[in-house]
Amino acid sequence: MTAAAQNELETDVQIRADGFVRVVLRGRLNEQTVVGCWSLLEKELLGTKVETLQVDVSGLGLCDAAGMTLLLYLSMGRMTPQATISVLGLKADLEKIFRELTLEDSQAFHPYPAIKRDSYVEKIGRWVGQTTMEIHEQMVFLGAIIASLPVSIFHPKRSRWAETRRIVELAGANAVPIVSLMSLLLGFIIAFESARRLAEFGAQLYVANTIMVVMVRDMGPLMTAILLAGRTGSSFAAEIGTMKINEELNALKTFGLDPIPFLVVPRILAGVFVTPLLTFYSILMGVIGGVIVMLGLGFTLPLILHQLASSVHLNDLGAGISKSAIFGVIVSAVGCWHGLRTEQGPSAVGLSTTRAVVTSLLLIIVADAVFSAISFLLK
Amino acid sequence: MMNAPNHIAISVKDLTVGYGDNVILQNVNFQVKRGEVFVILGASGSGKSTLMKAMIGLYPPLSGEVWIEGGNLMAAQGKERLALLRKFGVMYQSGALFGSITVLENVRLPLDEFSELPDPLKEVAALARLKLVGLGAAADKMPAELSGGMQKRAAIARAMALDPRILFLDEPSAGLDPITSAGIDLLIKSLHHFGFTFVIVSHELPSIYSIADRVVMLGSGAKGIIAQGKPAELRDRAADPWVRRFFNRQPDPSHSLEPS
Repeated sequence: MTAAAQNELETDVQIRADGFVRVVLRGRLNEQTVVGCWSLLEKELLGTKVETLQVDVSGLGLCDAAGMTLLLYLSMGRMTPQATISVLGLKADLEKIFRELTLEDSQAFHPYPAIKRDSYVEKIGRWVGQTTMEIHEQMVFLGAIIASLPVSIFHPKRSRWAETRRIVELAGANAVPIVSLMSLLLGFIIAFESARRLAEFGAQLYVANTIMVVMVRDMGPLMTAILLAGRTGSSFAAEIGTMKINEELNALKTFGLDPIPFLVVPRILAGVFVTPLLTFYSILMGVIGGVIVMLGLGFTLPLILHQLASSVHLNDLGAGISKSAIFGVIVSAVGCWHGLRTEQGPSAVGLSTTRAVVTSLLLIIVADAVFSAISFLLK
Repeated sequence: MMNAPNHIAISVKDLTVGYGDNVILQNVNFQVKRGEVFVILGASGSGKSTLMKAMIGLYPPLSGEVWIEGGNLMAAQGKERLALLRKFGVMYQSGALFGSITVLENVRLPLDEFSELPDPLKEVAALARLKLVGLGAAADKMPAELSGGMQKRAAIARAMALDPRILFLDEPSAGLDPITSAGIDLLIKSLHHFGFTFVIVSHELPSIYSIADRVVMLGSGAKGIIAQGKPAELRDRAADPWVRRFFNRQPDPSHSLEPS
């Protein structure tokens, strides 16, 4: 026999050799006393072979919700899985609640059903199925955009130019300060890094060539696209995703309006228009950054300008700008695509936004690599 | 700290609520007795939800006090305020269940944060609350998988997690079909037997007749209470004709669209 008093609760545990256990609780069973009682019962009952558990609570003066929880836990057999359990002496009002709570089979609502693990074959099969489905959906999406674009171009009155203008302002004009800062600093970095190396060969003048080639052919378009993916692609995904969750897309559909020409096409047109402009501006700011560094190194402005002009052809600028237009399409289309695919739930919009940014970045780098390979082969 | 007689659960004193110069409720006074089902009702835009949110301390009032179980919620700070907050649970209009965790985890969350109980007991405590609202079988479902009525019941279970004495329910029947709505009423009545005090914001008349012990009515534009009492008495004998029209579902005669 074990007896313990925790504050105002007395717990007697009587264990008989034939597996009969009698627990007598007297006093107050509340949140404060339950914790001590629990530890005592766990110590006594775990590892003991219990066939019959009798809990006598007729001596309880108070039993609050925490106390009731302990009685439920015992009666569900969580501490004595094999035993026949009875709770005796509950006061009439508590008995009613207790009965209500134990009416259902306690096993029937166990919250954690066993998780079925898939085999590798099933996992591969599911992945192939999902990827195929996704590629199919992307093709349908791309097809719908291509089918909608001529309507916008050849029937301008049917296009939503006001919406396109709004997006041009948001994605383009509002991005000018950050593009300025980023490109100027990029120009500084490239100039400083190349100046150190070129000084070893006495060829610091060629810093101008480095800046011009790097900014025009790669860094200008690439960094602008990366910035737009983080700033604009994510906002497209979040905006359209929220519209989907709020059933605004369903509202459009019931009016007979297709979300692709209504929402996606204006964003793609804005992306194609804005990205080359921002790229051109980025190139300009990067070169200015480089020029500032070169002036600091002691070169004269006419010499720097002459060197800059001789380092790239118009073709190079054309390649950089046209590449950026493709990046613009990628960023806008991927943002809208993930926005339209947003599912329900509080984390859905965040998930779509993340996917939009990651997919855009990946596709931009892949596209840039393809462009570089093509231009190398053409030369 | 004790300020109210023992049978008073909530005491609202000269409460003025608003945003800047826009006063929504002015000098509101009423008391909620222990163990009663108290309904705040009124027209859309009369400030019902605002009053409830001021009573639970979400909107700081411009002036006035709210006393809950003898403690001044407006003046309490730190641990004292935390102890007062544990005296009531709240069900929000949309349910406001956390969508990224299961229904059981929603109910368990306050227990995990504030209860001293051992972990296995917390799980049983959460299950017991879900069983009380009839959702034992939905414990491992995600909130998005539940119907509107089930979400509200799960939210009531979560509001009961820390064993409060008072439950605030914001529009428990809104947007539900009559059968589900009656089910919620029945749940409120059965929980009422366990000794909870209810403060309910509603304008569902069948529900109010079925559950309310006492109502206060907020007037549209009156910035305060225009009537209080038992619902049937107000329907038949209210001095204000607008209140009688409200309870008898009669339209405002000046806005009639009937052909003349």
